[in-house]
Amino acid sequence: MTVHASSAVDDVVHLSDVRYSWDAASPPVVAVDSLRVARGERLMLRGPSGSGKSTLLSLLAGVLKAQSGSVRVLGHELGALTDSARDLFRADHIGVIFQMFNLIPYLSVRENVCLPCAFSARRRNRCEQSGASVGEVAARLLRHLDMGDVEMLGRQVTGLSVGQQQRVAAARSLIGGPELVLADEPTSSLDGDRRAAFLELLFRECERDRTTLIFVTHDATLAPLFDRAVEYCDLNRIAGAPPGTTLSDDAR
Amino acid sequence: MILPLAIKSLRNRRLTASLTVLSIALSIALLLGVERIRQQSRETFANSVSGTDLIVGARTSPVNLLLSSVFRIGNATNNVSWDSYRRIAALPEVAWTIPLSLGDSHRGFHVLGTTQDYFDHYRFGQEHKLKLVEGERFTDANGIVLGAEVAAALGYRLGQPIVIAHGSGDVSFALHNDHPFRVVGILARTGTPVDRAIHVSLGGLDAVHAEKSAEAAVDPLAAAIQKARQREAQRAVGTDQDRIPAGQPADQEHGQHGAGESGSPERTITAVLVGLKSRNKALSVQRQMNEARDEPLTAILPGATLLEVWEIVAGAEKTLVAISALVVVMGLAGMLIALLTSLSERRREMAVLRALGARPWHVFALLLGEATFLTLLGIVIGVGALYLGLGVAKPWLEQGLGLFIALRWPSVTEFGLMILVAVCGVLIGLIPAYRIYRLSLADGMTIRI
Repeated sequence: MTVHASSAVDDVVHLSDVRYSWDAASPPVVAVDSLRVARGERLMLRGPSGSGKSTLLSLLAGVLKAQSGSVRVLGHELGALTDSARDLFRADHIGVIFQMFNLIPYLSVRENVCLPCAFSARRRNRCEQSGASVGEVAARLLRHLDMGDVEMLGRQVTGLSVGQQQRVAAARSLIGGPELVLADEPTSSLDGDRRAAFLELLFRECERDRTTLIFVTHDATLAPLFDRAVEYCDLNRIAGAPPGTTLSDDAR
Repeated sequence: MILPLAIKSLRNRRLTASLTVLSIALSIALLLGVERIRQQSRETFANSVSGTDLIVGARTSPVNLLLSSVFRIGNATNNVSWDSYRRIAALPEVAWTIPLSLGDSHRGFHVLGTTQDYFDHYRFGQEHKLKLVEGERFTDANGIVLGAEVAAALGYRLGQPIVIAHGSGDVSFALHNDHPFRVVGILARTGTPVDRAIHVSLGGLDAVHAEKSAEAAVDPLAAAIQKARQREAQRAVGTDQDRIPAGQPADQEHGQHGAGESGSPERTITAVLVGLKSRNKALSVQRQMNEARDEPLTAILPGATLLEVWEIVAGAEKTLVAISALVVVMGLAGMLIALLTSLSERRREMAVLRALGARPWHVFALLLGEATFLTLLGIVIGVGALYLGLGVAKPWLEQGLGLFIALRWPSVTEFGLMILVAVCGVLIGLIPAYRIYRLSLADGMTIRI
């Protein structure tokens, strides 16, 4: 099944014939014939645990390199970039939200949010072009995510609630206006109401900069909230699936 | 960015980081301490005998004579008679002589009986003369000139009465309290054993011991005690029983230097510092004295004997330096172990940093930065601990061992050692840095352990 819902011109992500396996002897964990995600689109990828969703995100982030096929992000063929160029590309253009948030425990809330700008001059410059320092942009982002308490900025992240940690992780992925945000099951530990509230905040921030969001989850009930939802098993069952079938079609 | 991140990461692991820094700091303090004491003891020794061509004492080993007469370490085995001293002084090759008489003390400081020649001819360091910062030289049998350290340690000023004691310990029960001295001068600091000496005239010492002998003659019990003390003193130092009574006429040869420098055939001294008219004659005069038939004497060339001392202690020095270097290696090995054991728990942290845009070299630099920071902090704290320790131990080193440790800036050698340790720390940091670099490449954004 080929899954696409946007024109090639606006594609932020374009995968074709991508195969990845952990080692040459084992079967591929990722086998995607085609996937396109448009600029500003909010895509949900749903699939059971262990199905290779996180591996796909690592391929999109350029942390892993596909053994075959093409992974194009913002028009750049990631496989053609050198390791260091791929790292720099990720730092400049991609934000990541982890399932367990993975905040750095010895840094404060503000330091955690600002961290990506330490590795990317481009994201740092984007913050400064808005007329504010990186720290001020971090504070603004947190305020937008309902974490406006100034005192909170200096606190260690280990003292935050799960919901607060989640919003700090979201702010960290969004700082410096990356074109693509990859979210790996960030709502799995939240109850239904909080899950919806968090997504609302996240969508609002993504819309502000027309940031593309690829959101991995195993929770099918979230599908209506997204522009498009794709069943990950369908995405990986490329050969036999009818074109254009998406979970989002069913959900809408 | 990397260094602040490294420091914050270390702060998060403050216990293991503190222990690592502590072990490096202690090992650095030990290494530099050994080096400092080695350097300064050599300097102190070398500076103490400047300008003296020969040292003459009773028959003993050259090293013992040098240590006992100049550095006040150990005791002379026997004394030199005043007749021998006069014969030495009368030799045509001899330009000047300084008689030294040791064996008494005041509150742990050695009392040195000598003549005015001491102030005229004694040289230290780069041929520096002794200078008085207060008062004047002793001009009679009651006058005392204090070394700078004695005056500072005991808080004595000019005019201060002093009673000296027999023997050289901190506590003595044989006080010469019948003959109180009076401080008439205080010497400028020299950084040599002179600073810790109390200088009196030979006549003053004669008077003190003559009074003690007279007292013993009247009281049979006191006489017995005095005799026993004299026997003990003869064994240990051998100075006292031959002192001339007070009021003895001044020696004609040295009378021109004023009261207190007179001598009689009964007087004995510990050693003689000799300056020659020509240094070329040193060996022949030395042989002449060593072959003297009237009294068995030992004459030494201070520089040559000092080399013997260094040869004797060289093995111990090398062993100490080797042990302290090994302690540094252990300290750095401790750091390596601490960093390597932290790697498994930090793989997730590194994977997160990589996902946030950190390049492998960032991860590499983070670990290397931590190792460098730990090493540098250990060195800084170690140097601080060394200075603190030397400051605390300074009085004891000076008083107990005669080592004058200046709290000065680190020497070139010491800076070299610090740089060497820092480089070793950085090199050792390469091991965990490379390992985490490889792991971060393999782990990607997920950790598969």
